[in-house]
Amino acid sequence: MSRTQFQSLRLKVFGGTRLGGGSILALILVALVLLVMPQFVGIVVVTLFTRIFILSVFGMSYDLLRGYSGIINLGHALFFGGGTYIAGIAFANFGASPQMLLVAVVATVVYSMVAALLMGKIAFRGGSVVACAMITLALGEIVRHLAENWRSVTHGADGLTFPIPDFLRDRVSFYYYALVFMVVMMLVLRQFIQSPTGRVLMAIRENEQRAIFLGYNTATYKLVALQVAGIACGLSGVMFALSSRFANTDLLTVQQTLNALLVTIVGGTGTLYGAIVGTAFVQLAQFSLLGLRTLHPIFERWLLFFGAMYVLVVLFMPTGIVGLYYKMGALWAQRARRS
Amino acid sequence: MDTFVILLINGLADAALIFLMAAGLSIILGMMGILNFAHGTMFLWGGYTSVWVFARTGNFWLGLLAAVLVGGCMGLLFERLFIRPVYGRVTAQILITLGLMIVFTDLARVIWGATALPAFRPALLDGMTVIFGIRIVQYRLFLIGVGLAVAIGIHTLINRTRIGMVMRAGIQAPEMVRALGIDIVKYFSFVFAGGAALAALGGALYVPLVGSVWSGMGMDNQVLAFIVVVIGGMGSFVGTAMGSLVVGLMGALVSWFFPPAAVVVNVMLMALVLVFKPSGLFGWEGK
Repeated sequence: MSRTQFQSLRLKVFGGTRLGGGSILALILVALVLLVMPQFVGIVVVTLFTRIFILSVFGMSYDLLRGYSGIINLGHALFFGGGTYIAGIAFANFGASPQMLLVAVVATVVYSMVAALLMGKIAFRGGSVVACAMITLALGEIVRHLAENWRSVTHGADGLTFPIPDFLRDRVSFYYYALVFMVVMMLVLRQFIQSPTGRVLMAIRENEQRAIFLGYNTATYKLVALQVAGIACGLSGVMFALSSRFANTDLLTVQQTLNALLVTIVGGTGTLYGAIVGTAFVQLAQFSLLGLRTLHPIFERWLLFFGAMYVLVVLFMPTGIVGLYYKMGALWAQRARRS
Repeated sequence: MDTFVILLINGLADAALIFLMAAGLSIILGMMGILNFAHGTMFLWGGYTSVWVFARTGNFWLGLLAAVLVGGCMGLLFERLFIRPVYGRVTAQILITLGLMIVFTDLARVIWGATALPAFRPALLDGMTVIFGIRIVQYRLFLIGVGLAVAIGIHTLINRTRIGMVMRAGIQAPEMVRALGIDIVKYFSFVFAGGAALAALGGALYVPLVGSVWSGMGMDNQVLAFIVVVIGGMGSFVGTAMGSLVVGLMGALVSWFFPPAAVVVNVMLMALVLVFKPSGLFGWEGK
């Protein structure tokens, strides 16, 4: 492969981001490690990483809204929990066959589209970021209440246990499916952001008033963003169902939405892969803190650490890990130039 | 007729509680432009504090006082330490208050446990009053009284005092107020702490009505308050009062005649208002 070919490929895969040769090397290294890792580690770690891959898609779908379109959607969990519940209800009531998985995926896509349409129509009426945040929070809570009260199907707060198709039972092969799922979703979302629609969304994020004056119907563009993010999120919910084989109404709470919000902030908003970095960081932090619980029971209070991390990151590290990485890179380059 | 009166009383009592929470939320939003997601947490802490003090001292009124103090102090602390560094950054404010909500909700769980605690009414108000042959829960009448008193109090504060004048000016043109040499930040602290104290009072009055206090109640009521603020118009005090009335009465009616719809009806109402008047019933266009 010639140098120009390589560069054009690099541009295609990584879009406009400033990835140097070193970063690509690191990325290839990470990919290799992820590929061979399941052969060397225990099932606990494999499951943990499967979870990271799936929740990364959840985080990326959130970044599409928060990072690229400037929308704060506090009801995002209704897509994630919706996907998990649709898959769970399908498997529990109609048998865990591969065909049923297909049905669940299609149903999730339809559900996500309809829910995003309704949500967008209501939430974007209020106009401001603040109104949108309040309204989406209310909508998300409504869906949670509905799921809690519709006990005959969802089993309410007790949760729903369900079987999954046999070919997905093996944890190690499911690890690879989840990895592929994450990579594919990342490329799809990346493509969406690179598209003309994605560019308009970024213009809306920077200055909605200006985008309106330029003649764009910003509400429609935001609706499209919500649809795409909703579908991606719903699909990650289906994957989550396959990994956890259990659904409860915790998946529909604001807390669940805040998980996605936190990983995008920790990782770095408006970068897409920042969500992956953030998810990995948050999940590994939670995993290690739980390991410390024999030292002191305070380490079981994950939410305390979670909330504190939230406040600290917003106050002191607003650009997240990815932003910090770039800043360090820039500083380094400066120093190298000076000497 | 009996049913109607009872529903009216129930609805008004609920409206008074929602109002206590939504009033602070709305004024903070209108004046400082801050959507305080930790507002429900004050409600929660108010509830727990009053129950805790009531159980220790046996004095209900001391419990209320303690709740208001705790709420006010928390508001002051939050504003000084966390809100002030992010003035003017809407997204950061939302995120910070969300973080505070998580931490302080979980702290309440650490201190008072994850299961619901029982909450009692004071002996003085724990009974029925018979008016024109209709038996009415005394505590609900008390709530309506408190709600009315607070509404009149805030209304007087906003319209008749110098503080209120600055607040009103601050909602419409904060830059202008600053240009006139008024230290609006001081008023921000006052409004934030006051709103928090009101929410805590709301929580303290709410728990004896439902008979228990649990860690999820902050969020549940915050959602109602948000709906009220959206319906009434952001930052409009009259709108918030009217919105509370509408949501309270509607809730009482629906939960009597068709309970399954109780959850959805408020959101439907909100959606309807937004379709016909996106700025809310009493909101200014473009605010």
